[in-house]
Amino acid sequence: MYLELHSHSAFSFLDGASLPDEMAAAAAELGHGEIALTDHDGIWGSMEFAQACRGLGVRAITGVELTVAAPGMPLPAEPYRGNCPPGCFHLTLLVENARGYRNLCRLLTIAHAHTRNWNIAAELARDQAPPPPSSRRHDLVHPALPFAELSGRLYSEGLVCLSGCARDGAVAGRLARGDRAGAERIARKLLAAFGPDHFRIELQRPLWRGDRTRNRRLAELAETLGVPTVATGNAHFHHRRRAPLQDALVAARLLGSLESTEPERRGNGAGFLTTPGRMAARFAEHPEAVAETARLAERLRFDLTRDLGYRYPGSEDPDADRNLAEACAARFGERYDGTPEKAEAARRLQEELRVIAKLNLSGFFLLHRDLLELAREVAVEVRGPSAARALLPPGRGRGSSVSSVVCYLTGLSHVDPVKAGLFLGRFLNDEITEAPDIDLDFPRDVRETLIPRIHERYGAERSALVAAFPTYRSRGAVRDLGAALGLPQGEIERVARSVDVYGSTEIERDISEAIGEARARSDRWRALIALAAESKGLPRHASQHPGGMVLSTRPLIDLCAVVPAAMEGRRIVQWDKDSCADAGFLKIDLLGLGMLSAVERTVDEIARARGEHVDLSRIPLDDPEVYEAIQKAETTGVFQIESRAQMQMLPRSLPENIDDVTVQVALVRPGPIQGGAVHPYLERKRKLREDPGYRVPYEDPSLEPILSDTLGAIVFQDQVIQVAMALSGFSSGEAEGLRRAMSRKRSEEALNSYRERFVEGAVCRGVTVEVANRVYDQIKGFSGFGFPKSHAAAFGLLAYQSTWLRVHYGPELLCALLNEQPMGFYPPDALAHEAQRRGIPVLGPDVNRSEVLCVCEWVEGEAGEERRLAVRVGLGYVSGLATADAEAVVRGRGEGGKYADLADLATRSSASADGLQRLAWADTCAGLGGSPEALAESSSRREDLWRLGVARGARRRGGHEQMSLPLPVPEAPKLAPQTAWERVTADYGSTGISLAQHPMALMRPELDPATVTSADLKRLPNDSRLVIAGMTVARQRPATANGVVFMLLEDEWGMTNVVVLPSVYEKHRLLVRTAGFVSISGRLERREGVINIVAERLFALERPDLPLADVRTIEPETSRETGRVQGDSGQRITDLGAVLPAAHSFGRRGR
Amino acid sequence: MSALATVNAPPPPPSGFALYRPRAIEVRASEGEPTVIAGRWVDTVREEWLIEDRWWTRIPLRRHYFELVLDGGRCLTVFHDLAEGGWYEQRV
Repeated sequence: MYLELHSHSAFSFLDGASLPDEMAAAAAELGHGEIALTDHDGIWGSMEFAQACRGLGVRAITGVELTVAAPGMPLPAEPYRGNCPPGCFHLTLLVENARGYRNLCRLLTIAHAHTRNWNIAAELARDQAPPPPSSRRHDLVHPALPFAELSGRLYSEGLVCLSGCARDGAVAGRLARGDRAGAERIARKLLAAFGPDHFRIELQRPLWRGDRTRNRRLAELAETLGVPTVATGNAHFHHRRRAPLQDALVAARLLGSLESTEPERRGNGAGFLTTPGRMAARFAEHPEAVAETARLAERLRFDLTRDLGYRYPGSEDPDADRNLAEACAARFGERYDGTPEKAEAARRLQEELRVIAKLNLSGFFLLHRDLLELAREVAVEVRGPSAARALLPPGRGRGSSVSSVVCYLTGLSHVDPVKAGLFLGRFLNDEITEAPDIDLDFPRDVRETLIPRIHERYGAERSALVAAFPTYRSRGAVRDLGAALGLPQGEIERVARSVDVYGSTEIERDISEAIGEARARSDRWRALIALAAESKGLPRHASQHPGGMVLSTRPLIDLCAVVPAAMEGRRIVQWDKDSCADAGFLKIDLLGLGMLSAVERTVDEIARARGEHVDLSRIPLDDPEVYEAIQKAETTGVFQIESRAQMQMLPRSLPENIDDVTVQVALVRPGPIQGGAVHPYLERKRKLREDPGYRVPYEDPSLEPILSDTLGAIVFQDQVIQVAMALSGFSSGEAEGLRRAMSRKRSEEALNSYRERFVEGAVCRGVTVEVANRVYDQIKGFSGFGFPKSHAAAFGLLAYQSTWLRVHYGPELLCALLNEQPMGFYPPDALAHEAQRRGIPVLGPDVNRSEVLCVCEWVEGEAGEERRLAVRVGLGYVSGLATADAEAVVRGRGEGGKYADLADLATRSSASADGLQRLAWADTCAGLGGSPEALAESSSRREDLWRLGVARGARRRGGHEQMSLPLPVPEAPKLAPQTAWERVTADYGSTGISLAQHPMALMRPELDPATVTSADLKRLPNDSRLVIAGMTVARQRPATANGVVFMLLEDEWGMTNVVVLPSVYEKHRLLVRTAGFVSISGRLERREGVINIVAERLFALERPDLPLADVRTIEPETSRETGRVQGDSGQRITDLGAVLPAAHSFGRRGR
Repeated sequence: MSALATVNAPPPPPSGFALYRPRAIEVRASEGEPTVIAGRWVDTVREEWLIEDRWWTRIPLRRHYFELVLDGGRCLTVFHDLAEGGWYEQRV
């Protein structure tokens, strides 16, 4: 009987073409009762594989194919994309028992320690603090284990070592190269390291030339050594049809074409998982090697789903229950004395403490409190003790934990759950089987410092970030696999920009539309279509989760390999959040919330610009000006309620208080939309406004107390649980099971079985079958994503606070938003234009006025008006300008005063020549002595560029700076003036923001005079036929909208919402997806104060007579491992992203 | 193989090395393995390998190679063209 002991999944990253789930399912189908997953240098997919196998009745064996540096050879020092770096070989390691698993994790951790050029091995050994936080990122060097780690026998116990694969294996690789003596030498060393019981000579049949000869020689060597041989398949994908994808992924890894990477590819499609019988037949000459597979597998009993033995810090503390109760009691009086909620709060506190103690989770809550205390210290350090921000808490809870009184009293949440009427069951109940989630939001800067500080507090060995795996979606697949197929770069980019970002269901059509049908029929494009579909959802590389951390009492490196992340000072476990959850790890989400940072920056800027100290926790929550703005949908830039969909709903829902805002935040989510909650809620709210005596209808009287806040509609996730409990008598655990079944998109079968129980339970309580089914349909409809009320309350408050800042401190909020980009719904250009329309002056970057970041400055009002606060765009917005150059300009000005002229700037600022040119082209030097004629003729930017292009800037080498000589810069020759259009394109090309003139204002004279503007829409009657033109700011095709596309157009007067129905979209797909400027003919639709244009025809707005924009970078260069923008984090690469929504090439995994 | 390699075509044209040009040969085979070649029994299969490549082009390559010793002691390399179905002898 043959058992597979060597196989790969897509978690071998571009050397495996199937998901662990697919490998497990294929193993079950093909009759493999046991199978080992041995991905390259990692157990990234092992937990997922083990879980999948368990469900299918297959026994998963854990292992890896490890890269090892040969004895006496150095570790790889550079990134290497080939199969095996020079001087290294592969070994197959299989886990026999818990000790072996621990050793495997340690070996993997050591093998990765050098991979980011900041060595964590030394820190791990000393259990010391990591390097200081830094945004510097490091490319991935190929992992490899020093051979000495094996020969020392420290970590070999409990592991079975196979001698490696046919091509790069320790022994076979040497034989293949004719080095028999070398093969025997290394085999003897491995035998000594692992012992005769734990070392086998590995035979493979990849159907390459020389297989039989190699295997005969390997068998001879095994006999010489006195160890058995064992046969393995080295499968790289679960089905034959993935063979082409495997080839293309390898080519993508090597950054080459299929033709150029032929030697590194497998050469045939035989690397698929096949039946045990077929595999045994391949090894007909070596029956003993086949028999050995079963004997070995019998010994490899470690079960990853069962044998981990994890404990979180604090779980062993016998006083935890008492300590938690004391911590809560200490704050109880302060929070509740004298309030009407006191008695209820005391009751709930006792109940929560009882459940927490019963579940042995007191240590878990104390640990979170401990983390928050740490965050408080970090916040003081980051913000400075005297900053206006010091009044703010270091972070805020989000998610279901906000419903807990214990969380409120220990500072983990800032919303009083008793006062807000938040339901606890979703977060904590007697029947939960895993630790609940506590998510904490932090301003980005606090979070950046907090993460390494946590490593420091709990030990580098005991804390790590969770991994995340960017996956292939259409756009990334077109780029990577298109390049592998050798398709022209220009065509690839055109297609990549036009495909639907989220799905590849119609990729064939997308390609035809982008490059023409004839071209799309070519062999290679047809191959790409098939490959893109097959690659969907496969992980491409590992990166770090935005904020998930795991902590452990045992060293984490005994539980999962820990590897350095791209960002210095950070390390990640090799599992994503789902695998960590399956392992039962305590995961803490420390999320960086851009809006929290923006709000804090706003408070600081208010203090700096006006000398006013704002305490956001004390602002009135009933400010009529704030609700007026919300009701008019004047919410651009504020949290959550700024999106196109929210703005459409606000004038209809007309929120009047903070509870309404809480509902509003939760309403525009897939759950309530699919559950049909939106229209009943809006309709009943309207009826209530018109007739305060209106009685809201409920399906059953038992639902009234649960759904009264949301007028009978199911809007919050926790209402699902409450409805199931009230109407059908579900226990809290059963109801939570129902919620999970819905949120994890389990099978229809599972949901139907819940329906039966739901209806049965409801009927027992006197509800009719019809009503029970109707309510269940609403619940089932909710199965998309929805917020728990606690989460909505936390977000609703931030939405209110940011609107309050927008209403009362508009310039400061805009300034903070510009500094926190990327965030929110609108690009900086749209934010700036909207602010200008509201009368906030936005001033361009200027070397004599700007800081690196945007700041507020006072400007004189027009014609005797009072002075006003304006926003000055920072030098950081200049495209491609290195942070060092921006800082140098500001520093030079601070030290020696304003720059007198261009020569002074070149000499004193110590900016580089490249930086000076970028500054000139961004028009930041306009006040520095350009000739009056040039200014008048709009040629000053060209003159500045010409003159600074001649100046020689400072040069930096090895950290030293060579100042430029104080030489005058020559006069520029007579240069042609820039046209208005050229100035706008130069603005977009150099800063991504155009402040002087809106591009639509320049296009307007050439448009059909009948074309209306966004300003005209208010006076036009409903159902008017019209033509409108604009710049595309956003386009969305939500999954919940049945194929309808929503576009947001901007012209010089404002924004216009356009609805593109599926029939119209079908005719104009490419245009809708890609056009920067469009003209739309359609029909005006006005409903309850909301105006939409329902598009009937679309036309691209083109002005061939005008110069084309100079787009130097189509897309920022992204790191292959991290997916992040390469280079200094301070550098901005501004491109069409200023006008177009950001393009996301890769998806995220999540089961 | 897969949907990607549905375009069958004859073996690729000679690329300038006539020495290596495949030559059609008469082969009797059992379960995919040659047993008789040009009237002589196959004594030993020394090696066997599979080449599947260029699936993204109009002329995909799918060949099952055998390095054989015939009963008279002659060594030769043949391949079965899996795309077209013929047998060829080829110097390798």
